[in-house]
Amino acid sequence: MYRESPVRTPLVLGHKTYHDISNDICAPIEGKAHRQWKIALTIASIVALYGIGCILYLVGTGVGVWGLNNQVDWAWDITNFVWWIGIGHAGTLISAVLLLFRQRWRMAINRSAEAMTIFAVLMAAIFPVFHMGRVWVAFWTLPLPNTLGTLWPNFNSALMWDVFAISTYFTVSLVFWYLGLIPDFATIRDRLVKPSWKRVYSILSFGWSGRAKHWTRFEEVSLVLAGVATPLVFSVHSIVSMDFATSVVPGWHTTIFPPYFVSGAIFSGFAMVLTLVLIMRKTMRLEAYIHVKHVEYMNIVIIVTGSIVGVAYLTELFISWYSGVEYESYAFINRFSGPLAWAYWCMMTCNVISPQLFWFKKLRTNLAFTFIMSIIVNIGMWFERFVIIVTSIHRSYIPSGWGEFKATSIDIGLFIGTIGIFFTMFLIFARFFPVIALNELKSILKTSGESYKKQNETTPH
Amino acid sequence: MGMWKMSLLINSKHDPGNNRDLTRKMGMTKKYWTGMDELHHTDAFQKSLNNEMQQDQSVEDFLADGRLKETNTGRRDFLKFMGFSITAATLASCETPVVKSIPYVTRPDEITPGVANWYSSTYYDGHDYGNILVKTREGRPIYVKGNAANGWAGGALNSRINASVIELYDSARLRGPVASNQGTSWSSLDAAIKAELQSANNIRILSETIISPSTQRAINEFSAKYAGRVQHIQHDTYSYSGITKANLATHTKAVVPSYDFGKAKVIVAIGCDFLGTWLTSNIYSSQYGELRKPASGSMGKHYQFEAQMSLTGSNADERFPIKPSQEGKVAAALYAAVSGGSAIAIDGVDASAISRIAEELKANSGSALVVAGSNDPNVQMIVNGINSAVGSYGSTIDMGKPLNLFRGNDAAVQTLVEEMNAGTVDALIVYGCNPSYSWVDAAKFNSGLAKVKTSISFSLYADETANRCKYIAPNHHYLESWNDYTPIDGRTDLCQPAITPLYNTRYAQESLLSWADNPSSFYDYIRQTGNAGYDIAMMSTDMEWNMAVHNGTWAASAMIAETPPTATPPIPTVAQDLTAVASTPLMVADPMNLNDAIVKATSANGGEWELSLYQKVTLGAGHHANNPYLQETPDPITKVTWDNYITMSPADAEKLGLSIHIGQCDCANVAKVTVGGKEISLPVFPSPGQKSGTIGIALGYGRGEGGEKIGNACYQTGRKGDHLMNGDLKMTVGRNAYPLTSLSANTISYTALDVKVEATTEEYKLATTQMQATVMGRTSVVRETVISTYLAEKDKVRGTASYNKMATLAVHEDVNGDDEINNKDKRPVRDFDLWAEHPVENIGHRWGVTIDLSSCIGCGSCITACHTENNVPVVGKDEVLRHRDMHWMRIDRYFSSDFPTVDETSEQKKLGTIAAYRDMEDPEANPQTVHMPMFCQHCNHAPCETVCPVAATVHSNEGLNNMAYNRCIGTRYCANNCPYKVRRFNWFNYVGNDKFAMVNPAQDDMMRMVLNPDVTVRTRGVMEKCSMCQQRIQAAKTAYKVAGKMVADNPKLTACAEACPTHAITFGDLNDKKSQVRASHDDVRSYSVLEEVGTQPNVSYMTKVRNLKETIA
Repeated sequence: MYRESPVRTPLVLGHKTYHDISNDICAPIEGKAHRQWKIALTIASIVALYGIGCILYLVGTGVGVWGLNNQVDWAWDITNFVWWIGIGHAGTLISAVLLLFRQRWRMAINRSAEAMTIFAVLMAAIFPVFHMGRVWVAFWTLPLPNTLGTLWPNFNSALMWDVFAISTYFTVSLVFWYLGLIPDFATIRDRLVKPSWKRVYSILSFGWSGRAKHWTRFEEVSLVLAGVATPLVFSVHSIVSMDFATSVVPGWHTTIFPPYFVSGAIFSGFAMVLTLVLIMRKTMRLEAYIHVKHVEYMNIVIIVTGSIVGVAYLTELFISWYSGVEYESYAFINRFSGPLAWAYWCMMTCNVISPQLFWFKKLRTNLAFTFIMSIIVNIGMWFERFVIIVTSIHRSYIPSGWGEFKATSIDIGLFIGTIGIFFTMFLIFARFFPVIALNELKSILKTSGESYKKQNETTPH
Repeated sequence: MGMWKMSLLINSKHDPGNNRDLTRKMGMTKKYWTGMDELHHTDAFQKSLNNEMQQDQSVEDFLADGRLKETNTGRRDFLKFMGFSITAATLASCETPVVKSIPYVTRPDEITPGVANWYSSTYYDGHDYGNILVKTREGRPIYVKGNAANGWAGGALNSRINASVIELYDSARLRGPVASNQGTSWSSLDAAIKAELQSANNIRILSETIISPSTQRAINEFSAKYAGRVQHIQHDTYSYSGITKANLATHTKAVVPSYDFGKAKVIVAIGCDFLGTWLTSNIYSSQYGELRKPASGSMGKHYQFEAQMSLTGSNADERFPIKPSQEGKVAAALYAAVSGGSAIAIDGVDASAISRIAEELKANSGSALVVAGSNDPNVQMIVNGINSAVGSYGSTIDMGKPLNLFRGNDAAVQTLVEEMNAGTVDALIVYGCNPSYSWVDAAKFNSGLAKVKTSISFSLYADETANRCKYIAPNHHYLESWNDYTPIDGRTDLCQPAITPLYNTRYAQESLLSWADNPSSFYDYIRQTGNAGYDIAMMSTDMEWNMAVHNGTWAASAMIAETPPTATPPIPTVAQDLTAVASTPLMVADPMNLNDAIVKATSANGGEWELSLYQKVTLGAGHHANNPYLQETPDPITKVTWDNYITMSPADAEKLGLSIHIGQCDCANVAKVTVGGKEISLPVFPSPGQKSGTIGIALGYGRGEGGEKIGNACYQTGRKGDHLMNGDLKMTVGRNAYPLTSLSANTISYTALDVKVEATTEEYKLATTQMQATVMGRTSVVRETVISTYLAEKDKVRGTASYNKMATLAVHEDVNGDDEINNKDKRPVRDFDLWAEHPVENIGHRWGVTIDLSSCIGCGSCITACHTENNVPVVGKDEVLRHRDMHWMRIDRYFSSDFPTVDETSEQKKLGTIAAYRDMEDPEANPQTVHMPMFCQHCNHAPCETVCPVAATVHSNEGLNNMAYNRCIGTRYCANNCPYKVRRFNWFNYVGNDKFAMVNPAQDDMMRMVLNPDVTVRTRGVMEKCSMCQQRIQAAKTAYKVAGKMVADNPKLTACAEACPTHAITFGDLNDKKSQVRASHDDVRSYSVLEEVGTQPNVSYMTKVRNLKETIA
């Protein structure tokens, strides 16, 4: 039997048996809803409804209800899009890349991270769809057969690539997530006594019987999907970054964007996972499964990706100067010294300086501090996208076209609204779905559970 | 359903088996009871059942029908039937809009649906004059352009004239005659007026300057009818009586002479905006454009002395900011210098500059011209003295051919106002002017008007004056009228109607004639003016007349040349106190007399602040306040739309603690200006080039202060599109500054020399279309040089001149052959191509445009022409404020910074790069200006085309970047990727959204008629931009194809090129080696804006050449 080094911190704390795990994780589904959950859901759905109201107003009136103008044609819409897409990345990274690298600590967080991915991608999709002037013909971006002869979308356009990248990403993530849920749904099905709910979960579990054959196939498909999903982690945000990189706008036209966007995405994604997981472990009493060690691992990923992002910022500045291109260098000078310099410095502080604090072990193992940091990082990453998008186009080539951007209440309302929709979905997820991959977790209990490890140390090999 | 259930229940009682069967067949498995009675089969229930149902045919009989049994209405069939019925019902209820078109029963010969008809006509509104061609489609005038073949100065128009077509359709126009604010009929109006005129002892006609011989004849006839009781007084909204008075003094001729700027090699203008608003500025701008052609070797030298930066000042080679009180001093100093005296320094102007200019004037004797905008006769007399000294008379100034325009007499109007107030005027007829708005002391005029028993207005609107008159006899709009005009001796133009009068209006002339008991129609009357023997039989057989109508002018008609319209009654004598004496243009003034003028003109000394009241190029004197196109056209200098404001030098504004950056987020501060006890509060616009210690306020704003119905565009709209209210009255666009004018020595003065300016805490939003003032040293956007450099390198090819280097990139190969690979090895950007070349060169047509930055004066005529031609929506102030103006054609205005490049700024001012960039954002105190028309560059490698996800913007095989509105989904990626920022997005449904109901003509039932049917009105959510007047290109191609000929070069095909009074825009086929556009495209001065981006535009710009000694770029 595989044994884990005693040096390694146990991943499941306390004396948990297989049954304890099932009990702990199925508890929120089987029990009655918390009062806290109800309050949270009410707030989140009110915000969500407000966001939906903003969308309806937008569609009914025109994109002009936002603060965009003929100089700044994209602002909050695409900022929010890139931000949400970036957040989604952590889920896929944890579920696919860490699976391939056999990182066992992922098992405590992968389910919620994947759920976050799905919901974040859905939120992200709202923006490119509704930023269209004529959203009712949004399907024209798809290469559908039509009666107009050989009228295809423009395959040269990075927006076109976005359509494919995001729809592929969403499909694969959804399938991967759902596949992992099947054995867990089966466990719930087996435990539930109320026939109606039992029926629901039995449909959801696709007739899982737990036979060895099922498990083999499950693991094979998981690996295949992980293989498929891994390149997507890198491709999706690379392609999103190409919306900017393939343009001619100084400040957008940068070859560094694909890797820099991917690491930024992972950076913000992990921060968002931390935000969610830290709340979840507290409210759902999952302290034994998600503990300081997990948080520390994630904080380490944040230092690494945050530093990559920091280096990218500096590289951009250097290259803008080194290129000798007047427009390029002005675009960057304007970024840090122009009218929107406050946004740039906000981004720099949040994304480059603050994650460096995680070099201190005391800080990276402090959950309260981590929680605050996770929010700061997400604020910083929002500003990163805002800075890239707005400060580049508000002062581009032709000085007569230099303009300003002023967000309207609808800009803000829609963004807050998507946060509301996201949390509504996540709260429903937390109530009806196993928030930890309980069957996968059971596979490491004997090797990485605290009590089993102690037991193993005392028993001879 | 109720019935069905019931019948089933009945059935169940008699035949339970059948019922089961039926319920199964009908897809029903459940049994329903109507109540407990039924369940228990009570007797009462049985009874009620029997009583309730019809007994004629029991249900069991019906269902027992054998054939029915064979049929089987299964659940699926039922659903099919139901689905079909619902679908059919739904479809039937959707009514497709039925558009009924009524064809001509007998088609008029001249109308072919879809083909435009053009009519020659003439525009005159008492202020602007132009020979026009009116485009009509299916009987509706939709566009006005200059009459290039037969027009005065080639039919040069300004934006005020070409945008005027929309005013025809203004729904605020009066629909019929009005008596005492009640609609009436013409017959009862005539009866009432005639009765009142019979008993009137003193009848006064107050009109704009009458230049129509027939109108004058009508006035004369009217005066004869009421002999001895009628006096005719002419009043110009903006007075030039200073000039006529000065000419009376110096030349014994009370006239405005004709000026020829095209002949002038040296022009000195003192406070005179001759390109924008002064006299017949459209004619002058055309002449000036001819002058500013560097290829001729000489461009003329233009000096400007003025307080606030005017359109003319922005085009000057050298500009000297002076205070209004110094205008006379500058004139006097120049006069002294040209007449042999020593040059005197004036505060702000070096003596050396004066003597240098004087030398130049003298050196170019006979081809020099000095003009002044001042309405002070003394200043004008000194200017006459200078012109006389440098031999301008007979060359650049023609006293023998004076303008018949602008003969208004301020003194006479003043007398009239006194008389009215004294109650001695019994009847007043107001024609073509609006003194209640524009007179110096409108309050006094109004109080006088109230005392006039019979007041009559011919206004088209119930405007400020007409609203106070007892009767309004609305005149036709000029596009509905016949008329004849003699703007200048020896030239008679005809005004021809392009549409039947829309409303129950009548010629003012016919009104006068009918009150003089002459029932003649004005058309016949005009015919009789030219030919006393005219009778109705001649109507269509008079070839001379027909040719004149065709050409729009008698003078240009060859047939009529033999008999010039000298038969017409002599042009009416100018107002009474100025005696017109025919004399040769000689300098007759006594030198003593001029000395007196010099003393008076130089004695003026200003206080802390001096004010000059000017006209904006867009609204002029206020005639066009109801024109949304003009309201939304930015001022050429400040780029502000929809407002007037105080122009102040940025340094002064800073001193007063006022905002010096105006933008979307930064409001302007309001300041209070006090002039002789009159106050006006307006926002302050920091305007570079403004002389410190002076302010400027535009006239022509604040129309409709009393809530008069003169058109929606006169009033401000709010964020929701409703008119903003100020108490019970609608808030006007801008404030009326006419009350700040004053009368001094019987002429109106447009300056005030002692003014108080106080900052207030109030803020006000000003909507500008351009926030950035300078070009930030970006030489690939704007290139300029000086004449000597240009001439030295004239024979080089495009891209090699020192001031116009082609963009290159360093390469890793030995290009220059010096056996070394270093950064001297460069290849043109054009050689690096990511994409396969579009096969455009030498294949078919490749349409292109060149813009000559030397000729472009920035007047904005192209903007309004483009607006009208292409149905560009008007979006209103609130949207302009959000940078959402929709102009396809815009004119970028750049002021120079202290130093041309960031490196120089950094070096000279000892600043770091960042600080140097920030420093460059502020223009210098007296900047040089570049006007740069900017529109879609129709790039051969268009960045917009590659990024559109649905291929809605694509390249045509004729070099155009096309926009397929139908395909556009509105991602706006193209607009972000456009380096020129020329794409305009339809943020709202401008033709349906309530926010635009008051501003966008397309939302007004009447104004909608001005829309060009050849151009789609764009829907919400699509991108639009310059199409290079695609519709015109297609029409031209078709015409040539039908004729079986090659497409000929037509450099004026696009609306912008056609409207440009200085011919700065040239359109054509770049693949046609003989075309004008090809020649200018290949010229040494030509460059592509942002060439290094590699967009390869089909639009080229020709480097601006300044007539200066030193290179500035």
